[in-house]
Amino acid sequence: MRFSRVILHRLRSLFRRSRENADLQREIELHFEQLVKESIASGMSESEARIVARRQFGPVAKTKEECLDARRLNLIENFVRDVRYALRMIRAKPSFSVPALLSLALGIGANIAIFSVVNAVLIRPLPYPDPEKLVGVFNSATFSGQVVKAWPLSLDMYTAYKENAQGFEEFGVWSAGAAAVTGAGDPEQVATVTMTHGVFRALEVKPYLGRWFSSTDERSGAQKTVILSYKYWQRRFGGDGRVLGRLVLIDFVPHQVIGVMPRSFEFLSLAPDVFLPQTAASGAPGSQDANQSGVARLKSGVSVAQANQDIARVLSIWKSSNRFWRQAAEELRVKPNIHSLKQDVVGDVAAVLKILMGALAIVLLLVCANVANLVQVRAQARRDEFAIRAALGAGWARIARQVMIESLALAALGGAAGLAFAYAVLRLLIIDGPADLPRVGEISIDSTSIFFALSCSFLSGTLFGWIAVLKSGLSSRLQNARGATQNTEQLRAQNALVVAQVALALVLLVAAGLLVRSFIALSAVRPGFTHPEQIQTIRLFIPEAQIREPERVAQMQVEILHDIAAIPSVTGVAFATALPLELEHKNGVPVAAEGKTPVGRIPPNRTIKQISPGLFAALGTRLIAGRDFTWNDPLSQRRVAIVSENMARENWGEPRDALGKRIRRGTDGPWSVIVGVAENVYDDGVDRQPPEVVYFPGVRRGATFAIRSSRAGTESLLQEIAAKIHAVDPSLPLARVRTLSELYMFTIARRSFALVLLGIAATMAVTLSIIGVYGILAYAVAQRRREISIRLAVGAEPRTIKALFLRQGLILMCIGGGIGFVLARVLSPWMASLLFSVRPFDPLTYGISGSVILAAALAASYVPARKAASLNPIEALRAD
Amino acid sequence: MPKPSDLLQGTLDLLILKTIAREPLHGWAIAKRIQALSGDVLSVGQGSLYPALHRLEQQGWLRAEWKDSDLGRPAKVYSLTREGRKQLERELNSWNRLSSAVQLLIATA
Repeated sequence: MRFSRVILHRLRSLFRRSRENADLQREIELHFEQLVKESIASGMSESEARIVARRQFGPVAKTKEECLDARRLNLIENFVRDVRYALRMIRAKPSFSVPALLSLALGIGANIAIFSVVNAVLIRPLPYPDPEKLVGVFNSATFSGQVVKAWPLSLDMYTAYKENAQGFEEFGVWSAGAAAVTGAGDPEQVATVTMTHGVFRALEVKPYLGRWFSSTDERSGAQKTVILSYKYWQRRFGGDGRVLGRLVLIDFVPHQVIGVMPRSFEFLSLAPDVFLPQTAASGAPGSQDANQSGVARLKSGVSVAQANQDIARVLSIWKSSNRFWRQAAEELRVKPNIHSLKQDVVGDVAAVLKILMGALAIVLLLVCANVANLVQVRAQARRDEFAIRAALGAGWARIARQVMIESLALAALGGAAGLAFAYAVLRLLIIDGPADLPRVGEISIDSTSIFFALSCSFLSGTLFGWIAVLKSGLSSRLQNARGATQNTEQLRAQNALVVAQVALALVLLVAAGLLVRSFIALSAVRPGFTHPEQIQTIRLFIPEAQIREPERVAQMQVEILHDIAAIPSVTGVAFATALPLELEHKNGVPVAAEGKTPVGRIPPNRTIKQISPGLFAALGTRLIAGRDFTWNDPLSQRRVAIVSENMARENWGEPRDALGKRIRRGTDGPWSVIVGVAENVYDDGVDRQPPEVVYFPGVRRGATFAIRSSRAGTESLLQEIAAKIHAVDPSLPLARVRTLSELYMFTIARRSFALVLLGIAATMAVTLSIIGVYGILAYAVAQRRREISIRLAVGAEPRTIKALFLRQGLILMCIGGGIGFVLARVLSPWMASLLFSVRPFDPLTYGISGSVILAAALAASYVPARKAASLNPIEALRAD
Repeated sequence: MPKPSDLLQGTLDLLILKTIAREPLHGWAIAKRIQALSGDVLSVGQGSLYPALHRLEQQGWLRAEWKDSDLGRPAKVYSLTREGRKQLERELNSWNRLSSAVQLLIATA
């Protein structure tokens, strides 16, 4: 092909530059020699002939240059020369390039960092083959008027779906949990995912070693099996290749290792240590509990909508055949809710990331505006240089190209520094970021991020480079550069940049301010417990395989409780099936109130907790009416219960009136008498409504201990507690060792993550706009020295001069502020999901943000204004 | 010595392509050939000949090779490529159109 040959030729020319030069020399010499020979032949002496030939040939150097031009060699060489010159200029003028590079590095770096997160979490497809065919399978249901979108399936439903669904290629259900691993080594609690064999098949990730689960692993009598995660295999078995077939004691039952998943495998947003087969069959007790998450791979050509229709059909057949669910499904308005799996994994973090990305794009714009201002001021200072260059024969296009290349070099350097900055930030983010950020392990700077960095640099460089070219007056005023004065058009352009900066800074300030207000509101919430940093939590699970009799389990728990209470500094200890904020043990059970729930209807769902006496005292939860449980309650024949304040108010109006009333689980359980009403506990996180909770005495095999001590979180206390527990049973693993405040921080992690980043963005924005306002006024003062001096000389008050510049600063700020308010009003509803008890149009936030900008603008204009007022007219005029 | 008239802008390419079309030549020979064939009316200056040759080579219409020559030394000999032949065709067509248009104008005006 002709085109490829041309390219090849050019490349060859480029790399063989010196040879090309020599060839050209030889070619021209040959021609020259011929001219000489010709002249000699016509009778001239050799020296005469040479002179004639030289005259005939004309300027050799020019011809050679034109030949090289024709080969496009000079174009590239000029470019290299320009770049070298640009780098030299950047190095030579640190007062200009350091602030420019610094702001570019910060602006671009922050954008790359957040983009990398967005890329990993939102853009990059899930790490499974054909991820677009993967769907999460849930139902939606309505509980007392509230629609629950991702209501899990029951095992019964799984069986029905599996047998009748036509749109699924593979389908399975799973549930997350925890188990104790004992035997060789320390006992430990591991995170588990119990699944049917269809889950791995749907995800289509082959094991690294061994095999997937099959339906035989799910039979109740079969040998128990387990698949390890790569990490757990490395940690517990040191990556032993002969691990297959070995037996592991999980909850004191031997499980045979049948596989190891690959290192790169991630199970949705979880990081379980081991995978267990679902052995509970449908129809067995508990198989009606809705606690299974579904995942399916759609057949090709089947859309999500079609799958939903298909499952709706299956659901209606199943409802009519199932006695228990027939009524429940009607009342709860159960509908299939199948959606793309990515939605499940990413969750509601998308909103946060989009807001941050927007904020950082604004910061980058601010950086560009600032650098453009710097470049422009510098271009004006360089007019003399440009004029001399033009006088020496450089075309204006050549000079413009030079300025452009300088800007791009600046942007490229800034972008490179930004990339390094982003790399460092990401390391921090992965270590210290919110642990609930989905796919956090996948965050990295990949080719997409680097491409993004390049585009950021290139676009910003082109942007401010273009401004510099336009503002250096290259096209029109090269000739009269000596007499150039500040003209109104330039001033207007600079003013526009400053106005834009102020406006954008205000938008970011408002966003950060709204979040700060949300945080203040959040910390004002009384969460239903006090001083969570003094509450140490430890979860114990006593499996059936180890202790068969429930009575013995209860006895052990009480023994441990008394032993821990004896530790010095422990002021309260109690246990419960779930402590506040332990979302992983959240449940929902229908609870009927006598005389309040219509007979024959499914009662509303409540959170149920089984607790030991003293829990409220240990947590600092106030009892509003009645009494706490006592150790005698289990002994007496009377069944008792405590309800939360909101539950009491909903049913009986006043908390006091709830005492003595009766409630029961489901529609046919035994009645329990309410003996106490406890303060509301923000069990789902302080930013959610507190749920209605019913407390019953007594505990199951799994219990979390709450230990109040001034030494909570210290190693010494933990050792003492562990010693007490292991004195009762040395094989019990301790899990969830943390303080309640860690849990508390965890629930607000996403918001505080957003706050920190938005706060940084807003601070950067305000700083940049202060620099912007200061820069433009200082420049204006320098430009108008002459005018100011004359004014002062003819008797103007310094005060008036000062006011003149202050006014200019304030006018710019007011216009910018006005635009900023409008922008913020338009944009702030976007962050509604991050706010807590603050409206997006919170007047206080808007007021404070406006004042901050006003103060900043005043401070930024005051210094140059004072400088103008204190000009010495005689000196200033003499200097001109 | 009367100065040969300046070459019309753009015709140099045509002349070079046409001259080489017959046989591969080096730069000196091309200049001489153009002068001779035009009956000494057209003279190509070195200052425009060599840049033109390099440009045509760059565009892929000429191929250049160092060969022993009649000058007693190796010389850079230019020959037409296939693309170059097509280009010559195009240039000839447009030249014919232009010259007949000029003829027409001179004859009728």
